[in-house]
Amino acid sequence: MNKGPLAGLRVADFTWIGAGSYTTKILADFGAEVIKVETMTHLDPLRNTAPFLDGKPGVNRSGYFADRNSSKRSMVLDLKMEQAQEIARALIAKSDIVANNFSPGTMEKLGLGYDRVSADHQDLIYLSMSMQGAEGPHSRYVGFGLTIAALSGIQYLSGPVDRPPVGTGTNYPDHVPNPCHAAFAVLSAIYHRRKTGQGQFIDFSQTEPTTALMGTALMDYTVNGRIAERVGNDHPHAAPRGAYPCLNGRTIAISIHSDQQWLDLDRELNLSDLLPKRDWSQAGVRLANRKELDEAISQMTIKHDALSLQNTLQAKSIPAAAALNVAELVEDDPQLAHRGHWIKLDHSEMGKTIYNAPPIRLSRTNFTMNRPAPLLGEHTHEVCRDLLGLSDEQIDKLRSEGVFN
Amino acid sequence: MTTQQTTLSSTSPLAGLKVLELSNRMGFYCGKLLADMGAEVILIEAPVTGASIRRDPPFIQDKVDREFGIPYFYFNTNKRSVTLDLERAEGRDIFRQLVKTADVILEDAEPGKLSAQGLSYDEIKVLNPKVVMTSITPFGQTGPYAHYAADDLTLLAQGGWLNIMGYEDAQPTQAACEQAYAMGCMFGSVGTMLAVLEAQQSGQGQHVDVSIQECVVMALENSAQSYELEKKIRARSGNSQRYAGSGIFPCADGYVYIFAGGMAASRFWKNLVEWFQKAGVEGADELASPKWQDLKYMHSEEGKQTFERIFCNFAHNKSMAFLYEGAQTRRIPLCPVSDAKAILNNQQLAARSFFTSIAHTASGLNITLPGAPFHMSQTPWSLRRAAPELGQDNDAVFSSIGLRREQLDTLAAKGVI
Repeated sequence: MNKGPLAGLRVADFTWIGAGSYTTKILADFGAEVIKVETMTHLDPLRNTAPFLDGKPGVNRSGYFADRNSSKRSMVLDLKMEQAQEIARALIAKSDIVANNFSPGTMEKLGLGYDRVSADHQDLIYLSMSMQGAEGPHSRYVGFGLTIAALSGIQYLSGPVDRPPVGTGTNYPDHVPNPCHAAFAVLSAIYHRRKTGQGQFIDFSQTEPTTALMGTALMDYTVNGRIAERVGNDHPHAAPRGAYPCLNGRTIAISIHSDQQWLDLDRELNLSDLLPKRDWSQAGVRLANRKELDEAISQMTIKHDALSLQNTLQAKSIPAAAALNVAELVEDDPQLAHRGHWIKLDHSEMGKTIYNAPPIRLSRTNFTMNRPAPLLGEHTHEVCRDLLGLSDEQIDKLRSEGVFN
Repeated sequence: MTTQQTTLSSTSPLAGLKVLELSNRMGFYCGKLLADMGAEVILIEAPVTGASIRRDPPFIQDKVDREFGIPYFYFNTNKRSVTLDLERAEGRDIFRQLVKTADVILEDAEPGKLSAQGLSYDEIKVLNPKVVMTSITPFGQTGPYAHYAADDLTLLAQGGWLNIMGYEDAQPTQAACEQAYAMGCMFGSVGTMLAVLEAQQSGQGQHVDVSIQECVVMALENSAQSYELEKKIRARSGNSQRYAGSGIFPCADGYVYIFAGGMAASRFWKNLVEWFQKAGVEGADELASPKWQDLKYMHSEEGKQTFERIFCNFAHNKSMAFLYEGAQTRRIPLCPVSDAKAILNNQQLAARSFFTSIAHTASGLNITLPGAPFHMSQTPWSLRRAAPELGQDNDAVFSSIGLRREQLDTLAAKGVI
């Protein structure tokens, strides 16, 4: 039976909100035993963030929280209390990996800093995903997904040529660049640990991976002195290329990368009738006259249903795609359905609700996604008893002292 | 030099991992992540023309030449390059020899292409059962769209992200710098390492199948849950958030992004009001009134417009740097909407030595580029070599599998390597 490629690894997970929780979700969905440590008096804000089951708020009802915390267990500890910190340290002592995305210094204040917990645990891998890194002049600055987008350049560079920056619609750095880079760093550290027995501290600044993804634009400045500007939907080799209107306010994206694709597009949409006489079969002519092409294409696409036009053009091997909305992705997209992207997990308060599967398929040891998001503190007793070896009496006493708040 | 390289690579976390990379368009950043962590990544390119990314602008000194492309240079740091024609039987035989020495094969060919060449995962694993094959393709290896034509823009559309990017009153606009491909690579690197770690224990490799469309879906935030639980279909919202106090606003030398109003940001509002009152900003007292604690008012057009008027009146003659420091020292999440110049001048990135540099042999220039995307205390990121010239490592790599000088000369004369 497949237990996932990370079976046998344990993560003491102090992450919350966006990027941190998505990082440990990747590890959990692929079989690591992830124990999320939460605090009742300082809840993960996502537990109180919409959407909620039936629109009714509740700490165990957020779909946003649920999606980011599949396959994990939850224990609660009031980390301001010394006894809670002791339990957290006992959990870390039995873990391979510690993950957090607090501001620098927070884990130290809780008695859970790297130096302290790694002293007798040299092979511990400790991931700290702060906003701008552990040290430096801006390390205490506050931030969120879109402040990262602003600092990294992706916000400035995304949008139409002739309007202010518009960015990319969601808190992108939180969802993919930071979770993936962080998970990759942890997995690389495990590889190193298996060779050497050595753990390490990973100082992760959440502004840096997205900045790295802007590398080619940044290098045009460092090498050629040119400040890259917004290009709308342009591409250096492809024209026409853009997002064009269809029936019912919908959109189709079309990208022409070869002369043959152009000839086929022209034939399907009768574009030549709308265009001035030029040798449009030449890529150079198309690249130099994008605007005229865009206008002609828009006049024709608006008469079509986006999905039918997509399929007509795809039959000619033209890169064309309806800009799908989320309802279509969830209900109708045959490719995502084929991949089994949407997973329904049965949650004891929310019932069967929707989760993202990781977009990777491993042919032999695929993801397991073996449990829904945990209720707040659902596994406190179980972890204390089975993993940390506390007796029921000890656990009851700690509970009465308020340690599990 | 040789000693230094050995020392550096021995402290890289993935030292000892050997990767054959067949990227042509979509997989380069995945190979870069592995190479920058110390894996020995051999980029296999078509003889003469090389990988298609070599033709992508911009170019160093604007010189249109296969050794001068900035995307090629950036995405292929720390790799080696060999030329090998996989369209020919002799080329494929050499590739099969290399497979026997490899831990990972990374490829982004259209599904079925490697199979037609006799190099599918099932055929590869017979040669080397422990090898991991990572395939990064638009839609994955199978399914109704597996052979659909795609590029970065159409994948953003089919993954549902394009529909929510851009201004509400215009057609959507893409995320900069080919983020669909980037996501395929980021998840590809994770999938590769999952399979590599598993192969260490089981002695068996596996096929890692990455769908870029599916990766794009991961960027949609809580869209699917909002649809299922609250029947909301997310749409474009331009560059402003849903509440007053949040969004992109102009200042003297560019734009700033601020997140100080509504939901999670409400706790920063009083800091903003204090800042504005102390600075004597016109209208600051108005922002102190209790109505700004009411989410309904924060969501109203009147609320948003009032905030914009007061903020812009203050910011229009202030620099991004002034606003950034002024806001952050008062714990207000405000950041410059940074362009390349601002990023190169960013003091925090400088303090962390984010940018690094390396010589570009063909031009003689020293090239500055982004370096470590994270810091590892025991196995620091290192730039050991610049992107290779086409076929630079043919002799070293092919002789390591036993090909002799005269054989190499013959293969080169025939155009196989």
